[in-house]
Amino acid sequence: MVRLDDRGVADILAIAFMFVMLVLAAVFMHTYSLRPLRAATDRQLELKSEHLYMTLELAWVEPYSVSFLHAAAENLLLKQPTVPELHLRSAMENVLEYLCPPGYAVTVSLSYDDSSWEPSWPEGVGLGMDAKKQFVREGEVRLTMTGGEKIAVLVTVRIFKIAGV
Amino acid sequence: MILTQILKTLATCILVISFLLVTVSAYQQYRSISALAELSDATSAIVIRLSVEELAYVDNDGKLHMYALDPAKLDNLQTRQLIGGENYDFQVSMSYEAGGEHILGPYGSAPLDDRARCSLAVACALYENGRFLPAKLSVIAWCA
Repeated sequence: MVRLDDRGVADILAIAFMFVMLVLAAVFMHTYSLRPLRAATDRQLELKSEHLYMTLELAWVEPYSVSFLHAAAENLLLKQPTVPELHLRSAMENVLEYLCPPGYAVTVSLSYDDSSWEPSWPEGVGLGMDAKKQFVREGEVRLTMTGGEKIAVLVTVRIFKIAGV
Repeated sequence: MILTQILKTLATCILVISFLLVTVSAYQQYRSISALAELSDATSAIVIRLSVEELAYVDNDGKLHMYALDPAKLDNLQTRQLIGGENYDFQVSMSYEAGGEHILGPYGSAPLDDRARCSLAVACALYENGRFLPAKLSVIAWCA
């Protein structure tokens, strides 16, 4: 049994403790120093999410003169929307593929009452509700029905990190 | 016995010096990373200014359409901006898909090799021939 009050062992223990402290301090300081960069990257992704929402609100579904979100809201509410569903689905898929940030997935969710439409890119990636990091922009599209009734369709654009990338 | 004490003292000195070196290197890394984060935020600020103001499409009634960009404004674009008391140069380009990818630009001088630079690409609507097309706005910025 080694006695801790033995001077030689105590010195070695002190040096070993200092070594462990040195390694821990190095790891901690270098990990902590990366935080501002991660925060800046997150802010950029928030910006991308905002821009993606606004783009879908403004850009038209070719060859129609209706924006993506407006067309999608019409598809959700009207029996005869301006843009046929198949055409809109394909156009939305193409635009999400083109505008999706590399390494991330994007979903657009439109809902009104019990009906919803949720296109995403890449396909089958899910809604990303449980993703650890997600950048969400919410808004609404307002449609005026033939009876003059105004209906607001809730829209959520979500960019999130794909697991394993 | 004296040799053992010398070795212990030496080991302690090495550890103290290592600790100081690690602290200094972590501080330097923190400073360079903070500078990169600042550059990243400046790039975001440039992108916001471009998309809501400087490149934003203005219709015949004088109404400003934020997030809808007018490529005609690229020719007269000032590619140096003062942000947070610091001057930043940037290069900007736009791309859109219409039967293949079309790229407008780059506009502005080429980035300097010896400077840290930050690139950011965001979605935007591009106004062209009376239509609003989905497009990307790409900016590469560096400290002037």
